[in-house]
Amino acid sequence: MKSFITKICALLLLVVLLSSCAVPAGESGTSKISLVDGLERPVALEKPAARIVSLAPSITEILFAIGAGDQVVGRDSFSNYPEEALAIQDVGGSMGSYSYEMIASLEPDLVLAGEINTPEQVKSLEDLGLTVYYLSNPENLQALDEVLAAAGTLTGHEKEAGELAASLNERINAVLSAVAKAEAQPLVFYELDATDPAKPWTPGPGSYMDELIQAAGGRNVGSVLQSSWAEISIEELMVQNPDIILLGDSNYGITVEQVATRTGWENLTAVTEGNVFAFNDDLVSRPGPRMVDGLEELAKIIHPELYK
Amino acid sequence: MNKKNRLQPYLITTLILLAALVLSFAVGSVFISPRTMIDVLFSAVRGEASALDPNGVYLKIITDLRIPHAVLLMLAGAALAGSGGAYQGLFRNPLADPYLIGVSSGAGLGAVAAMMIQWPYTTLGLMVVPAAAFAGGILTVLLVAQLARVGKTVPTTNLILAGVAASAFASALTSALMINSTGELRRALVWMMGGSTQTGWGPVWGILPYMVVGLCGLVIIGHPLNVLQFGDEQAQQLGIRVQRVRWYTIAIATLSTAAAVAYTGIIGFLGLVVPHIVRLVWGGDYRRLIPVSMLGGAGLLLLMDVIARSVIAPQEIPVGIITALLGGPFFLWILKRSKSQNYW
Repeated sequence: MKSFITKICALLLLVVLLSSCAVPAGESGTSKISLVDGLERPVALEKPAARIVSLAPSITEILFAIGAGDQVVGRDSFSNYPEEALAIQDVGGSMGSYSYEMIASLEPDLVLAGEINTPEQVKSLEDLGLTVYYLSNPENLQALDEVLAAAGTLTGHEKEAGELAASLNERINAVLSAVAKAEAQPLVFYELDATDPAKPWTPGPGSYMDELIQAAGGRNVGSVLQSSWAEISIEELMVQNPDIILLGDSNYGITVEQVATRTGWENLTAVTEGNVFAFNDDLVSRPGPRMVDGLEELAKIIHPELYK
Repeated sequence: MNKKNRLQPYLITTLILLAALVLSFAVGSVFISPRTMIDVLFSAVRGEASALDPNGVYLKIITDLRIPHAVLLMLAGAALAGSGGAYQGLFRNPLADPYLIGVSSGAGLGAVAAMMIQWPYTTLGLMVVPAAAFAGGILTVLLVAQLARVGKTVPTTNLILAGVAASAFASALTSALMINSTGELRRALVWMMGGSTQTGWGPVWGILPYMVVGLCGLVIIGHPLNVLQFGDEQAQQLGIRVQRVRWYTIAIATLSTAAAVAYTGIIGFLGLVVPHIVRLVWGGDYRRLIPVSMLGGAGLLLLMDVIARSVIAPQEIPVGIITALLGGPFFLWILKRSKSQNYW
């Protein structure tokens, strides 16, 4: 597993190196873009993509954030941000399968797939003669730069991508230096789903939530788990007794009031002291630029004293 | 039965299949009018570009997506319904379906286990999941048959019980793998609900050899299955080698079902319901029931798939959801309408 991660890291590094040296080749006026994507596939474009289909919400958000929003001609069903994205043709994806014929009919010069997609889907699109780039998720918050750089190169928005990366880094560093001053590291429970309140789902090590909670100066209850997503026992939750509960399922109608009515939850410190908050899960589950918004939100909730 | 009546079941199911094929080519999330479609196809035959399709997108949609998809599902539907019919005859049990003795749960375990590893993006790497599903299905049935065997014979009750136990075990392992995974969960879920994963002609060529052997093999066991309905002893006395028929049926049904499942995932209900519908309408002669079930299964699966692809287009619903959702009520309706008290 360790060597696998190292390999992936090396690969990402390779992608960045290749992308950084592939860009300024435009001496003869025909600047050809060639990158290696997350599946180790070489991907070449004659010119920056002008008609893009995005297959993941994080990718749609990245494209809009680097100013390539008007180049997007198709998006997956989950892509609901920014609002302009909703007007773009939906190509499916909510039940795990996309409408390949819809994608083909849009005649895109680039399809951007993400880790939400399977190799079979990439192959199917490739077989239709489409250019597909598999954009891997960033390893961590800092590695967002590399993802943005690749998206920038493919769409001809290198400059905006670079500027965005710089401003995001600045904001990340601002949070990190702010929370470094904090005296305590409150214990945070992030609720993904508590349909069964006796064993709610929560993010564990290796998830973006885990990383972001720690970066925002908190400790994650789920850090004790084995996998990135798992059900935690209410007993463990009561023993750890979190200071703060974040309702990542508030998008699905779970309210702060409901939490206090659950058996075993009513005596948790977070509940008795009123530190249960609704949280927009999209900010921390989509590996795009809004993760930095998520980090800032988290820091404000975990360390309100630093943001007075 | 006179000649006209003997042909009737085949004619009707073939007509349904043809209609389903036409619908399957015509319906999709991208609207292609019949006129455009005919023009595009005729231009392609003549080897020139159609004026209505200057960039060749429609042609690509028809020849690289719709036609191979329809052929794949047709083969899968025929295999599932044919195997289901054969199993109902072999086990003399109306609840038998092609998944009865573990082929689907074994295939599911194989597929999900293969999905847990990130294979290199190569032709070979892309074949790992269907190959693992195929192997998982066949190995599970072999194991079940081995466990159920008593000397040289294999009692059907033992087979069913061993199959149920092995299926539960394999499903539990599959669930454990899925719970422990992160990104592969959706992929595994879609596979389990019969969402086909790969497009194009690759999957069709991949399963065609097994299908040819499996489907032909199923058609010719009608007569021994008929005789088997009198019971093992009677059949033995009538010159049927019961154990041999049993092994043969299991082998051939497993082969075709595993091949179908490898690329289309687990499509539930079809293999159970189609043979029953055929039996209700045209009677239980297995020489007719199996081939007619195949034709009907192919047609019905195509129709279900048209619905799966069009109700909330451009989103597509895994076809297994539709087969169970519509197959159940449809079967109950047929059952209710049938005049006979006990048709089985």
